[in-house]
Amino acid sequence: MGKWRVGVDSGGTFTDVCMFDETERKVRVWKVSSTPSDPSVGIAQGVEEGMREHAGVGAAQSPGAMISYLGHGTTVATNALIQLRGAKVGLITTEGFSDLLEIGRQKRPSLYDIFAEKPATLVPRHLRFGVAERLLHDGSVEVPLDEAAVRAAAEAMKAEGVEAVAICFLYAFVNPDHERRARAIVEEILPEAFLCASHEIAPEFREYERLSTATVNSYLGPIMHRYIRRLSVRLSDLGLAAAPHLTQSNGGVASFDAAARTPVRSVLSGPSTGVVAAEAIGAVAGYPDIITFDMGGTSSDVALMTGGQTTQANEAVVHGYPIKAPMLDINTVGAGGGSIAWIDTGGFLKVGPQSAGADPGPVCYGRGNEEPTVTDANIVLQVLNPTHILGGRLAVHRDLAVKAVERMAGRLGLGTMETAQGIISVVTANMARAIRVISIQRGYDPRDYVLMAFGGAGPLHAVRLAQELDIRRVLVPRNPGTLCALGLLLTDLRANFPVTRLTRLTADNIPVLQGALEEVAAEADQWFADEGIAETARRLILSIDIRYEGQNYELSVPVPEGDFDADALAEVIRRFEAEHQRMYGFTAEGEAINAVTFRAEALGLVEKAELPERPLGPAEAASAVSGSREVWYPETGAFTDSPIYDRERLSPGMEFAGPALVEQMDTTTLVPPGVQVRVDPFENLIMELP
Amino acid sequence: MRPETPSAAMLSKAGDAAKVTALDPITVEVIGSALASIVDETGEALVRASYSTNIKERRDCSTALFDREGRTLCQAEHIPIHLGSFIEFVPKIMAEKDVDSLRPGDVFIGNDAYAGGGTHLPDIVLAEPIFVDGELAAWTVNLAHHSDFADRGHAHIYQEGLRIPPIRLYRAGEVQQDVLDLVLLNCQVPRERLSDLRAQMAANRVGVRRFQDLCAKHGKAVVLAAGDELLDYAERKMRAGIAALPDGTYRFEDIFDSIDLEESLPLAVEVTIAGEEVTLAFEAPPQVRAGINMTETALLATVYYIVKSVVDPTILPNSGLSRPIHVKAPKGSVLNCAHPAAVNGRVQTCQRVSDLILGALAGAVPDKVCACTNSACTVATFSGVRQDGPEKGNLWVYLETIGGGGGARPTADGLDGIHVHATNTSNLPVEALELEYPLILTRYELVDGSAGAGKYRGGMGLRRVYRATEDCVVRLDVSRFETASWGLGGGGAGGKSSIVFGPGVAPFSLGRGTLRAGEWFAISSPGGGGYGPAEERDTEAQVRDARDGIAFAPAGGA
Repeated sequence: MGKWRVGVDSGGTFTDVCMFDETERKVRVWKVSSTPSDPSVGIAQGVEEGMREHAGVGAAQSPGAMISYLGHGTTVATNALIQLRGAKVGLITTEGFSDLLEIGRQKRPSLYDIFAEKPATLVPRHLRFGVAERLLHDGSVEVPLDEAAVRAAAEAMKAEGVEAVAICFLYAFVNPDHERRARAIVEEILPEAFLCASHEIAPEFREYERLSTATVNSYLGPIMHRYIRRLSVRLSDLGLAAAPHLTQSNGGVASFDAAARTPVRSVLSGPSTGVVAAEAIGAVAGYPDIITFDMGGTSSDVALMTGGQTTQANEAVVHGYPIKAPMLDINTVGAGGGSIAWIDTGGFLKVGPQSAGADPGPVCYGRGNEEPTVTDANIVLQVLNPTHILGGRLAVHRDLAVKAVERMAGRLGLGTMETAQGIISVVTANMARAIRVISIQRGYDPRDYVLMAFGGAGPLHAVRLAQELDIRRVLVPRNPGTLCALGLLLTDLRANFPVTRLTRLTADNIPVLQGALEEVAAEADQWFADEGIAETARRLILSIDIRYEGQNYELSVPVPEGDFDADALAEVIRRFEAEHQRMYGFTAEGEAINAVTFRAEALGLVEKAELPERPLGPAEAASAVSGSREVWYPETGAFTDSPIYDRERLSPGMEFAGPALVEQMDTTTLVPPGVQVRVDPFENLIMELP
Repeated sequence: MRPETPSAAMLSKAGDAAKVTALDPITVEVIGSALASIVDETGEALVRASYSTNIKERRDCSTALFDREGRTLCQAEHIPIHLGSFIEFVPKIMAEKDVDSLRPGDVFIGNDAYAGGGTHLPDIVLAEPIFVDGELAAWTVNLAHHSDFADRGHAHIYQEGLRIPPIRLYRAGEVQQDVLDLVLLNCQVPRERLSDLRAQMAANRVGVRRFQDLCAKHGKAVVLAAGDELLDYAERKMRAGIAALPDGTYRFEDIFDSIDLEESLPLAVEVTIAGEEVTLAFEAPPQVRAGINMTETALLATVYYIVKSVVDPTILPNSGLSRPIHVKAPKGSVLNCAHPAAVNGRVQTCQRVSDLILGALAGAVPDKVCACTNSACTVATFSGVRQDGPEKGNLWVYLETIGGGGGARPTADGLDGIHVHATNTSNLPVEALELEYPLILTRYELVDGSAGAGKYRGGMGLRRVYRATEDCVVRLDVSRFETASWGLGGGGAGGKSSIVFGPGVAPFSLGRGTLRAGEWFAISSPGGGGYGPAEERDTEAQVRDARDGIAFAPAGGA
């Protein structure tokens, strides 16, 4: 038994189920409406229906028994943080620092806007307790822990009915003894509460960011626990025997138990599985260097991968809260199909970040919105079907969109079409800026990359964005709308173990360096054992965050395999200097070099869905043409007849040139004049720009 | 005072941009977005490659692009007061050097308040001309606040550090070693200075490359024309914003006290709004033998910052916004000082002037301003000699600035423990501070009793308690010991600054003293003023105040 691998991506509107048949090696997709009040209902329903539909599960059989692997992506933690619906948390800190959570880095939220607010403090002052204890920077104890004060704080929190407790002491990343002891005391008094000590979740230096991470983890802990408990019951009702997994911000998955302990590591998991799918598609299609561009209704997510590896970040600010957790370096910008165009007081055209959302939606929906959106501009230009979108499911009113853009054109002193194209240009510039952050600002030149576009609106804007960034090649995968669910079938179990040990990179310190690497490797080994990962499926990647002594930002450098000897040390230094040269354009010869944080990334390889490859057929694509439409292009300055290709009928080997459109149920791909398109063996559209 | 720069006519030969007429607003917006990317990127390069805590962690630095006529094209959103050091720097170079002698790879260094338009000596500017097609097209400029020149006198600028007029540090890509040697010899922590200057160089190299790429993509003429249009655009927005304010003359007065001063100084401003233009006329006593004098450029940067904040925070930070703003202040006064006035602590005055202007604008648009912020930028500077380790015998200098209370807003409480107005630097993590310097921070917290009472309360000040583990010299730049931050619309005043010394510490004089190993002191920054009468505070907020133990500053100031 057990021959289907299932990925479930639970979004705000739809729950997508992606199923891979291990026997026939085919991917199938099923979609149901989400059930926001209890998402586990929609998830169970989606899995059950999908398996009955595609796996031939009979009425008397339980679908779970045929599932060998289940991966699940959820935004429960993310939403709880955005909507501030987390648990009631108590906080214990070093005495004198109980306000630090509120002070943060003392910067104001906006340089010029007097009315801007700081993010809400997740633990109110009366639930924050400073207790006497103090370590010094070497981990030595200056003031022993006042256990009675910890006990009193725990009792006070109990009286207040807190559901979770965070503990963060200075230098706990060097010496966790005080945090451990405090945790044990709190556990005695509050045995039911979710507990998180900072050294467990982020044993790294910089106390505010570590404190914030531990606090967010506790804030989300009870929410995630309840969610997982409910979902586990439903999945076992389906007869699921395989251990289910949850996606993490690092693009990997974790067991339900591990994920419940570390919800802070999943808050950026939403867009991560799409990026994982992009990695897999790039790998088989032969494009290791990719910038992903996932554009939806309200925002766009972009990420960069080099040599098949997506850039990772170890820290980010999520909705105002600094979080130290391993994550894919994904940048989000408020630019989507629903972004509203407007003219500011200086007479310039702006787009977003306000969005018309799904309701009232763009002007062309005819639901009362009169401010043109990016989608309206595409309707006016007829890049999008001027009568029906979403595969014919939604009727649109082009006349309303034209009127709205005309009004704007009058104020700008431009033609209607130029204004519609202007809306596209401005939103493109906003997205290009987001990509510059993850590429140029990190020392990577976007011109060396392939742009992979997905999400409902990505393929529509991809070539324009590529033009803005001088990117020469664009890839649109076969199913741009369900890439996230597909990613769930392509990812590994993944966990990260950091430890900060500030050490000079010198031959004398080789034993210390070796010791720190062994320490994180041992933690990874423990994780492999806890997760029951077979020996053959274990992969361990060690790296060190390094900087010149006196600097403050480290560069992560992979450690060569084998013993950490003098040769390995020399190689690590060489790699650091090369990376420094690439990032900053110089090396500081003769300066001492420090290792700061040692990291183990542990991978438990899982058997993955395969992307089917088909032989190349003839280049002639006329058979895939389903019709034509007049589209306005800035290149021609006029409406130009453009053939419409039906994505379902395009097969590997076919070639055609712009101007053209490719339509499929969940998206439209724009091929402007001069762009060449071919369909590769994986049914990706490969567009070459002149 | 001058509106933009006097050099517009000088460079009319660079006017091939004039050929590009009627650039559409969409192209301009797209290029504006790319320019903003460039200054963000140069800023990131500077912070990440730097060594000193003041830049790498506290981000006390700024980057900008200037156009070929020496006008601010785009400033990154870092520190408003740094604009002051920028606005005169490039024009000075262009006025005093032969423009035809400029070569690609020339890099100018400077910091002087009188010869280079700086606002105080630690802010060292590096500017590099950007050439496109063999012609000067723009400038990439950055500033880093070098934590140096510590433990100095402030009777006049010659005591405050090395004065550097705008001179070449690099000539056509070649470092001028003699210049560098002279600068470094005059710095107390030369190793940090050298490393930070290197980071500043790296940032400018990025700026040059990106601007050239942008010209390659859109054409130089288009980029330059878009630059001109972006300035006009900022001007239009500023004019539209000012026009929306009620015409009239609004006056506000305050007393400025500072730890540097034996006697407090009366300050006043009269803000006249007339149609699309605004004039700010300041009254101030003659400059003093203390570090609190503001140069003209510091005053302009402060005015531009606060007017933009109140009128329209979204106006692009370029020189076009200054065109409808007119500033008058008596030459040789504290607010528009002349050589050789000392200027090191000018940020205290900038902060007070910002609130002074807010106070006047409250008469025009009370719903668009906040009550008085803490009006200070509380600064603690520590220096000493390394007692052991590889740096033994070398000097060390550590500077930090401490936020305070924000002013209450017409719709919300003031923000607690933040930097206001002309500055916005981060704190240094305790775990970084104690690793690098012989200091231990024993408390860092919000100050109870510092918030001004009101329907909306003022923000709370911050307290930091330092203990020395080795002997060191301490200098504090603090204000608001005497006068409290005012409330608006019946709101109460905020709490004042205070300093508490531990046992055995010898009394400080004018903010200066020494701390021996084991000794400690505590510094508390002021709170912000409240907005609206305290009796109107809503019940829920009162319950929260009581629960969280938030006491208010007593009436009349504590």
